[in-house]
Amino acid sequence: MNQNTDLLTLRSVSKSYGPVPVLHDIDLSIRDGEFLTVLGPSGSGKTTVLRLIGGLEPLTTGEIRLEGQDISRMPINRRPFNTVFQDYALFPHMTVSGNVGYGLSVRHIQRKEIARRVAEALELVQLERFADRFPAQLSGGQRQRVALARALICQPRLILLDEPLAALDLELRRQMQEFLKSIQREIKTTFLFVTHDQEEAIGMADRICVMQAGHIRQLGTPHELYYKPNCEFVARFFGENNLVAGKLGPVQGELRPIETALGRLVCSISDQPHLKAALDGASAFAAFRPEALRLAGAKDNDNRLSGTIADLAFAGSSTVATITAGADNAAQRLRLRMPSRIDGSMLKSGETVSLSFAPHEGHLVLA
Amino acid sequence: MSKAGSTQPSERHLSLLVTVLAFALPVVFVLVPLAIFLVYSFFSVDQGTIIHAPTLGNYVRFFTDPIFLPVFWNTIVLCVSVAVICILLAYPAAYFLTTLKGRWRYALLMLLLVPLLMSYVIKIYAIRSILGLNGFLNKALVALGILEQPSTLFVFNMNAILLTLSLLLIPFAILPIFLSLERIPQTLLRASDDLGASGLQTFLRIILPLSLPGVASAASFVFVLAIGDFLTPQMVGGISGFTFGRILYSQFGTAYNWPFGAALSVALAIVVICAILIGERFGRNRGTSI
Amino acid sequence: MSALPRPSTLFLAAITTLVAMLLYSPLFVPIVSSFFTISHGDVDWSSPTLSTYRALAANHDILAALRTTLIVGMCTVVLSVVSGTLLALYYHGRRSGRSVLQFIIFLPFLMPPIISGLALLIFFREIGLERSLLTVIIGHTVFVLAIVYRTVLMRLQSMSRSLVEASYDLGATGWQTFWRVILPNLSSAMVGGAILAFALSFDETMITILVTGTQSTLPVRLWAMMRLGFSPDINALVALILMFTVLLCVLAARFLIPRQMATERA
Repeated sequence: MNQNTDLLTLRSVSKSYGPVPVLHDIDLSIRDGEFLTVLGPSGSGKTTVLRLIGGLEPLTTGEIRLEGQDISRMPINRRPFNTVFQDYALFPHMTVSGNVGYGLSVRHIQRKEIARRVAEALELVQLERFADRFPAQLSGGQRQRVALARALICQPRLILLDEPLAALDLELRRQMQEFLKSIQREIKTTFLFVTHDQEEAIGMADRICVMQAGHIRQLGTPHELYYKPNCEFVARFFGENNLVAGKLGPVQGELRPIETALGRLVCSISDQPHLKAALDGASAFAAFRPEALRLAGAKDNDNRLSGTIADLAFAGSSTVATITAGADNAAQRLRLRMPSRIDGSMLKSGETVSLSFAPHEGHLVLA
Repeated sequence: MSKAGSTQPSERHLSLLVTVLAFALPVVFVLVPLAIFLVYSFFSVDQGTIIHAPTLGNYVRFFTDPIFLPVFWNTIVLCVSVAVICILLAYPAAYFLTTLKGRWRYALLMLLLVPLLMSYVIKIYAIRSILGLNGFLNKALVALGILEQPSTLFVFNMNAILLTLSLLLIPFAILPIFLSLERIPQTLLRASDDLGASGLQTFLRIILPLSLPGVASAASFVFVLAIGDFLTPQMVGGISGFTFGRILYSQFGTAYNWPFGAALSVALAIVVICAILIGERFGRNRGTSI
Repeated sequence: MSALPRPSTLFLAAITTLVAMLLYSPLFVPIVSSFFTISHGDVDWSSPTLSTYRALAANHDILAALRTTLIVGMCTVVLSVVSGTLLALYYHGRRSGRSVLQFIIFLPFLMPPIISGLALLIFFREIGLERSLLTVIIGHTVFVLAIVYRTVLMRLQSMSRSLVEASYDLGATGWQTFWRVILPNLSSAMVGGAILAFALSFDETMITILVTGTQSTLPVRLWAMMRLGFSPDINALVALILMFTVLLCVLAARFLIPRQMATERA
């Protein structure tokens, strides 16, 4: 598999339900063999993207190409894609093997061949012993795996997963994430995974496509999204960035200052030409992660902030301090995350502290 | 159902056929007969043949003839009484069901509904024999010393129709009342207890108001079923128990005046529609689901 | 509900017992009389007999009416289940015109049977259709259609839309989806609806009286006989019908409980 060839391309795809637009002019390329996650809050249009690709809904405008060939009007039952539905959509009147073999039997494939491939698929999802059970007799995780086996038995080019883990409890969800990822590596099929859970997205995806209000906000690796969000929405939605609003100052090589109510903050703009190109005085945010923030030492000259600790929250391996910074009329809450200590944190609530973050750990986001 | 363009020509023909059938069936066998029926009510009869010329004569006769309006009114009163009796008996029974737990509740509900499935005609016959001069009711009343000797008070008159219809229709009242009582969240009752209300206060101020929609639909149910019945009055009503249904039926039998019968049916239909609408209006749940 | 104290619960239980007795008394009269002789309102408990059942077996009139009822019931079931299912499939997920046509389908069920019956009577006369078993079957079908339609529609609505989508998604055609996914999931609702339709048709009297020809169904036959008083063998028939009805009722309950629930308990 060559991860660099595009398997599927969406070009200026829009979708409206009657007068209500749900997708605006989406462009998206899915690479062959990748695990792509579409991440967004509910109502962002992420499920619609999946349904359009799967052929469950017609496009309003635009086109979908599979390796260059337009499949926008191809009926759902001819598309070489299979879906794992949110509610699994297992046929309640068929056994596990009946469900898994359905896609083959509607294509009039010989019984022996079906039996062989069903056995294979069930082995892959570790459900050999459950072949004769009915869906109602299975647990949530098992149903999930049946749905997966049913989708991959037809050897689709692309497997579409619509929030398949949403109904599972936390522990099971973790297991299923690993399981899905390992299956994907084993069968080397492209996965398009829709979720609203950013942790799930970070843990599984090769690339993440963040959606909001019918637009794609950012597409990139989990690392890129985590450290270099390109807009306020992604910065806020993804992780728990500290955002401080201000006006951009003049470019200084790979750095650029921003004048904020908390003072002048210098942030990195390496590999981000649009930030280099932005005009002086443009509105922007300084974005820095809670773990980038630390208590300032004597040598720290850049990005000094001072504030009062409003709250300390012990969260196991780390402790998060909520800090009120800035003058009363422009007070702002910042979060600082640091490793917990067995003898309790060295910070105390109500204490005034001096903080700082390194310029290369700060990032700018245009408003 | 999104078939996303997968329809083949044969499927398209079929779906056209289905569309035509889907519209034709109800229209031809329900709407057309009712429409013809309505038109008939404006025709008249002359010496056994129906004259297909529009006239308001049937309606004028209904309103002016001294027979029909009083019978019409008495029948309505009768059926309202039936509804009241049914509810007075059904409400406590339905309430009792909701005090039971799990399986018992539904087992007993089934027990009270099964008689519905028994032959209507047989039940009327059996009730008539119970109410009759040698019937169980008279025997019981004499044995209890309430009556000196068997009475004919309970059969072949209006009382008999009232008792028989009530007995036949109680299950129709139990079901809607039970459903509305069952829908009241237990937490409301606990909240009321918690706020210091007595059992009676909780019942009068919480349970009763919230179950009134069920009572309304039960009442309209029973009323509609009672007023359309012509078998019961004919079987147990004798000569004095004359109801609107009987008059209506006789227009198609002995009296042989179909157009007039149609006009009477229109009057009946109007009352029924009003009853259904009233039941619907008050039967709608307001805020029982929280 | 623990809202009412004990004495009131006793009162409620008493009323419920009274209601149950009132409801069952008309059923016990014929059953008791099918095994015992009754004269002048007194039951002769001393000599149980099956003579009424023997007499029934010889009563050709009644047996013919029973056969007619069964034929009408079967035809009504087939017609109403086929058309009710088609209508439910057609109107499911379709907005335009649905409420109006649904109202029309429900009219014969809401209206007093005398009105539906008379309307059909005049309709058959206008189109020149002689009163016969056919008119009875049409009358019954129109009457029970609403029940079958509603039963099937409710099952359709409780069926997840993604089942159909999954079938298409896995490459099935419209026909395959219908036969292999939709129909099997509706089958228990259709059987349940069929049993209800049969039970309603079996007991339907008022419409039948108005639209029947020379062959009468059992309830109409009984109604005609009732004016003269029953012969004892009718009691035997009633006892048998009661058992049959209870059986039907149990069957219907079984089929109307969704399959998943049944298997979950297993």
